[in-house]
Amino acid sequence: MSAKPDMSTTQPPDADMVTIEVNGEPLRAKKGSMVIQVTDAAGIYVPRFCYHHKLPIAANCRMCLVEIEKAPKPMPACATPVADGMKVFTRSALAHDAQRGVMEFLLINHPLDCPICDQGGECPLQDLALGYGKDVSRYAEKKRVVHDKNIGPLIATEMTRCIHCTRCVRFGQQLAGIMELGATGRGEHTEIGTFIERSVDSELSGNVIDICPVGALTSKPFRFTARAWELTSHPSISPHDCVGSNLNVESRRHKVMRVLPRDNEAINECWLSDRDRFSYTALNSSDRLQSPMIRDGGRWQEVDWSTALEFTVAGLRRVIDQHGSNQIGALAAPASTLEELYLLQKLLRSLGSSNVDHRLRQSDFRDDQALPPFPWLGQSIEDLESCQSVLLVGSNIRKEQPLLGLRLRHAGRKGAQIMAINPVDYDLAAPLAHKIIASPADMILGLAGVASALAARGKATRDRLPDWLSKRVPTASEQAIAQVLATRKPAAVLLGNLAASHPQAATLRALADLVAELAGAALGVLSEANGAGAWLAGCVPHREAAGKAANAGRNAYSMIREPLQAYVLLGVEPELDCLEGGRARSAMEAAEFVIMMTPFSPASAPTAAMQYAHVLLPLAPFTETDGTFVNCEGRWQSFTAAVRPLGETRPGWKILRILGSRLGQPGFDYSTIDEVRAEIDARTLTPSSNLGERLLPPELRVDTNTLQRIYEVPLYRIDSVVRRAEALQQTADNPKPAARMSAVQAASLNVNDGARVRVRVAHGEVVLDVAIDTRVPDQCVLIPSGYPETISLDAHGAVSLEKAEKA
Amino acid sequence: MNVLKRYLQSFLFFELLKGLSVTGRHLFARKITVQYPEERAPQSPRFRGLHALRRYPNGEERCIACKLCEAVCPALAITIESEERADGTRRTTRYDIDLFKCVYCGFCEESCPVDSIVETRFYEFHFENRGEHIITKPELLAVGDKFEKQIAADRAADARYR
Ligand code: SF4
Ligand code: SF4
Ligand code: SF4
Ligand code: FES
Repeated sequence: MSAKPDMSTTQPPDADMVTIEVNGEPLRAKKGSMVIQVTDAAGIYVPRFCYHHKLPIAANCRMCLVEIEKAPKPMPACATPVADGMKVFTRSALAHDAQRGVMEFLLINHPLDCPICDQGGECPLQDLALGYGKDVSRYAEKKRVVHDKNIGPLIATEMTRCIHCTRCVRFGQQLAGIMELGATGRGEHTEIGTFIERSVDSELSGNVIDICPVGALTSKPFRFTARAWELTSHPSISPHDCVGSNLNVESRRHKVMRVLPRDNEAINECWLSDRDRFSYTALNSSDRLQSPMIRDGGRWQEVDWSTALEFTVAGLRRVIDQHGSNQIGALAAPASTLEELYLLQKLLRSLGSSNVDHRLRQSDFRDDQALPPFPWLGQSIEDLESCQSVLLVGSNIRKEQPLLGLRLRHAGRKGAQIMAINPVDYDLAAPLAHKIIASPADMILGLAGVASALAARGKATRDRLPDWLSKRVPTASEQAIAQVLATRKPAAVLLGNLAASHPQAATLRALADLVAELAGAALGVLSEANGAGAWLAGCVPHREAAGKAANAGRNAYSMIREPLQAYVLLGVEPELDCLEGGRARSAMEAAEFVIMMTPFSPASAPTAAMQYAHVLLPLAPFTETDGTFVNCEGRWQSFTAAVRPLGETRPGWKILRILGSRLGQPGFDYSTIDEVRAEIDARTLTPSSNLGERLLPPELRVDTNTLQRIYEVPLYRIDSVVRRAEALQQTADNPKPAARMSAVQAASLNVNDGARVRVRVAHGEVVLDVAIDTRVPDQCVLIPSGYPETISLDAHGAVSLEKAEKA
Repeated sequence: MNVLKRYLQSFLFFELLKGLSVTGRHLFARKITVQYPEERAPQSPRFRGLHALRRYPNGEERCIACKLCEAVCPALAITIESEERADGTRRTTRYDIDLFKCVYCGFCEESCPVDSIVETRFYEFHFENRGEHIITKPELLAVGDKFEKQIAADRAADARYR
């Protein structure tokens, strides 16, 4: 063995470290790591195709061959573990020869028509062919031909270009959790495909576009529209979930052409969910509202900003004069920026109304006062991976926050036990150790059972538990969940979006808090989009910015249930965004004055906004405005506009600022957005997810005997942007809305798959197709919201179904 | 000595005669002035005049929207927008050349992998209205159609030097 270099000046030799020499340069490396990891860390380039730092090693492309002293043949750097004293040569004649040889083999079957390939200009194969390829091909025989596959609306395939690196296969297996792509055949006949003719439906599928080193898998919506070199990249933040994924908005001539992930190990690593990646397609749609419009005397007309603002101010003044300022209410989309939400509540509060809310899909607000300053994950996103047990309560985490689902899958692979108490048996693409699938009402009982099982383990709590809880005899699965939570640490209890929209959400929250306390687990709340930012901005009726107590106004639910005279809508389409679309429509119709700030013209949406709104103000979507999103870890991420606003569109914070000034309110003369942000001083707030006081009702009244509706908003219906992203709308995650029920339930109603049923709830009725869905528990019917077909249905409560004639 | 020589030369109009001899020589030499427009100067097959987009003999446009010409153009004179055509091929929806920006360097022609964009021998173009200096895809294709014979002959003549 060669002598070790003198390490006295560097860190002391560690049992876990070895020293290797690369091209004559001594490098320290962790035992067991691969040569390529060491060279990458040291900035020494080794060409590669199949190796990817986030994927398991396959070593099947052989591009990374390097010379290793004493090895008879060149060795793949990605699959050769380091050994003490190893001498590696990445650029010796032998290594270079081997790499050139591999390149020639790869190019035998790869088409040489880069000019028509969409990967051209950002293709590792193209780049490496420049470095390691020959000028002229020696191969004159026929090339391999592979037929393209249609794998869905998001990914375009050109399978003759595939070099069988299997990155896409490993991504599906290891990260997405479902093996949708695989290799069939051997040698030259290997083909990558979906085994049977079907689409790739993972909510993370778009990532294979990034990791595919050639043009075999490319983005369908982006296909052939631009080249990598003509795009300008702007760092931005995703508005669609509470992860706050870092992304790059790539634009050309002030048009967003595509969205790519931006590496951030603490948040999204190098991945992006399909929703974040493809939602941009809506921003270029013809639906965009391009100039302010007012409805004067029943007719809509396009006007300039100053007319529109005057009209708005006059309308608001009229309502205040005639009905008082507490007849004004504001509803904000949770995907709005922190600054927009702050200015919205400031405007309302300065007018004397506290009716401002962003929690459009909640109905139970009993515990408002007890809630922490903002919904918090209870830990950092990275820490989620090291949890040993996780209990999901009312969360389809995989579709609600796809990248948190990915973290959970990582945790599961490291041995965590993942459990769920859900109204639907969602496929989380991770094995569930224990689960309770129950109707919304029974979910409460399930969670109560877990709590009582934990209490029985002797842990004390500050509360006196009501009888229905302490006396409940836990079932086997409740016992099992309690056992896992109590013994496997770190543990986490996560409350999802379905918990927030649960009819007894406060009870569910209190129980989850109790379970977390008894089990010594972290409680995490997964809010919608920028929910954390909305709380911090004071966009809730009972708290001002940074959690200061306020004179409570009306919450979103009560603003809809007991209509007001004027509404200010920030990015909201009431029918589709509110819990009860039908009632939201009636409330808007009854109002005297409705101001709608929206990026899209409602004329094309299936809402009646053209009938009830009075002013439409074109609002800049996230790519056209500066702003800040706060993610579920409480991380503030500011971003700037990627492109200039379309037409007469203006950033929300500017619209609200000028509205404030025009209404004669002091404190609205900001000149930059930083001044707005600086007013929200949340530095003193410590994040927490535990409740101040647990609202456990003395008696539990749950109706478990009638058929109940399960309310869910599918992931591509959550906000006005994704609803218009055409490619996403065509995916399998967006099936036609139907009344989904178990086979047993359907049999008891005497209907079968595809039959039509009339669905009646307390308020509203519609006719829907029946879909047999094994995920849905008996006594329940799952009806999605966010679709024009189901607008008029109330979210909760008893449902009656009755066979209807075929349409 | 030098002083005397120079005095004599200027006294005898030597410089003047020397100059006049050039004039005289050209007076009787073969004329090279071209009587444009009746006469035309000869052109090389590599002449770089107005651009054209070519088609294949079957009528299909050659351009595959690879955007190499747009990327190489030193004057940023070319603007391309592209899409996937219904038959799945990669095609331009817009191909504009700003003839005021163009410096007629011929790089676009050099870079084109399918010999689509070429510069023809035609140089007598003019504009009467604002905006006409931006030549669009249909116009470029029309120029190509008009001069295709000449273009093809020129490429053939030049082929062996490439
Ligand atoms: S499709 Fe792309 S990522 Fe998948 S094996 Fe082929 S080259 Fe690799
Ligand atoms: S001739 Fe030169 S300047 Fe003119 S369009 Fe072509 S590349 Fe651009
Ligand atoms: S280089 Fe040729 S094929 Fe490519 S875009 Fe330009 S004209 Fe079209
Ligand atoms: S990168 Fe090492 S074999 Fe592919």
